[in-house]
Amino acid sequence: MSRDRPLELTVNDQPVESAAPEERILLDFLREDLELVGTKRGCDLGTCGCCTVWVDGRPTLSCLTLAHLVKGRSVTTIEGLAPPTRLTALQRAFVEHGATQCGFCTPGFIMTASALLRDHPHPSRPQILRVIGGNLCRCTGYTKIIEAIEAVAREST
Amino acid sequence: MHLDPFELHQPATVDEALCIYRDHAGDADYLAGGTDLLPNYKMHLNLRRHLIALGGIPELGGIALGRLGSMTRLADLEGSGPVAGAYPGVAEAVAEVATPLVRASGTVGGNLMLETRCFFFNQSRFWRASLGYCLKAEGAVCHVVPQKEKCYATFSGDLAPALAVLDAEVEVATDRGRTRIPLIDLYDLRGDGIRRHTLPPSAIVVAVHLPPIARQRLGTYRKLRIRPAFDFPELGVAVAVRFEGSSVAELRVAVGGLETAPRRFDELTDPLAGQQLTEERIRELAGAITRSVRPVYNTFLPPDYRRRMTGVFVRRALVDLAPASSAAA
Ligand SMILES: Cc1cc2nc3c(=O)[nH]c(=O)nc-3n(C[C@H](O)[C@H](O)[C@H](O)COP(=O)(O)OP(=O)(O)OC[C@H]3O[C@@H](n4cnc5c(N)ncnc54)[C@H](O)[C@@H]3O)c2cc1C
Ligand code: SF4
Ligand code: FES
Ligand code: FES
Repeated sequence: MSRDRPLELTVNDQPVESAAPEERILLDFLREDLELVGTKRGCDLGTCGCCTVWVDGRPTLSCLTLAHLVKGRSVTTIEGLAPPTRLTALQRAFVEHGATQCGFCTPGFIMTASALLRDHPHPSRPQILRVIGGNLCRCTGYTKIIEAIEAVAREST
Repeated sequence: MHLDPFELHQPATVDEALCIYRDHAGDADYLAGGTDLLPNYKMHLNLRRHLIALGGIPELGGIALGRLGSMTRLADLEGSGPVAGAYPGVAEAVAEVATPLVRASGTVGGNLMLETRCFFFNQSRFWRASLGYCLKAEGAVCHVVPQKEKCYATFSGDLAPALAVLDAEVEVATDRGRTRIPLIDLYDLRGDGIRRHTLPPSAIVVAVHLPPIARQRLGTYRKLRIRPAFDFPELGVAVAVRFEGSSVAELRVAVGGLETAPRRFDELTDPLAGQQLTEERIRELAGAITRSVRPVYNTFLPPDYRRRMTGVFVRRALVDLAPASSAAA
């Protein structure tokens, strides 16, 4: 069996000191070791986007990232976007537009689209379609997701 | 999914990485963005017990007009205005690789050294065990072309053809020092198909170099796939051409996604130097390329369709790039 190696990083602005085997995948580290189960495991192979988190602010597939390779860096998960009882403007827009049905893809979409809105507060529709191209949803048909993102883009100053 | 245990090495220099590889020869893999290697490891395809991460080696980074470090992330290449502007065909190809999320991690070096693909290979161990393993991993026979010598898995990288038509070179580090070879020579159709490139297993791709002439060529990349995101190429056609007046100075055509290696067709395009790119010449060239490619049935679309679409894409690309005076029709 492989032995654990110390692993320090920042998760949702909190310093984390942990340990994990060298082959630990970031998604497993977040869900199983840190019990941050908001990040979802869909395909586990890079083909759905459910597992998207930010690494130093950049949307990243946690299922294809080794935990030890983000040592010392800052990881943000869906749990870190707003305090537990609050929603971000985009999360609220998802609720209001019915952009979430089974909800399994939602954390991934929110992480991807929040980074887009942070960097480009007024994205065009083609830009939105392009950026969410790596996130799959089996329920909504995407229209409501796109409308929710556009609603936030319209409201932001 | 938990991976089988391995030791993760994080060298700071190319020499250190080569040294670690030498210590574990045959039982090590290099890791760049991991978007190809880690899915394969999750499917238990050719596991090694040592992974050598290349991300901490500064020399492999950097992006400039004449040099793309091998660890350049695809998203950074896509977002680099000057580089994308200088090489329109490369810009088109990189923007069509996988998805934005995969491009955020995937690298140029990993794209060139991508494992080849086959629908009998890119499957879980359970799936493969139930059919019987194949030549490329743990088995003795090929399920696509039943025989025991050659694997026909498809080379599915988008960047190789787009860079090959620009006469790109790769800088390679091995135990015996540094070399530079034409990028197209990374691949060889005559190989056994199991080894996906011509370099020694320990070799590290350091960078891609682009000659100044590449900036004078018009270029385009056409990709066939089912969904406009996610899917690997079922066919990729890259064309680069420089005109002098209305006649061709140099023309290069390369294809990927069809066979075990990407291919360039200099023997068919060199004779066109000095000629006008007329509709008839375009049709002849497209026909000759179509006749020479031999895809097999190991991706989603039937090989005959992919073969015929090769000619269609070559023709469309050339008609779009040709000056109005020559290929007007
Ligand atoms: C859902 C999905 C869709 C995809 N679609 C496409 C697609 O449409 N087109 C496409 O081209 N690719 C596609 N890919 C494959 C892959 O994401 C890209 O090719 C990517 O560029 C690979 O780079 P990487 O850094 O992640 O490679 P890694 O996975 O890190 O490495 C790939 C291979 O190259 C070797 N290697 C990496 N860097 C070096 C180096 N510098 N020197 C020597 N060897 C090296 C590794 O040992 C490994 O064998 C897809 C992947 C996924 C998960
Ligand atoms: S072409 Fe044949 S040997 Fe190669 S991966 Fe497919 S089934 Fe296996
Ligand atoms: S779980 Fe990571 S992309 Fe599907
Ligand atoms: S809401 Fe069910 S997958 Fe998107």
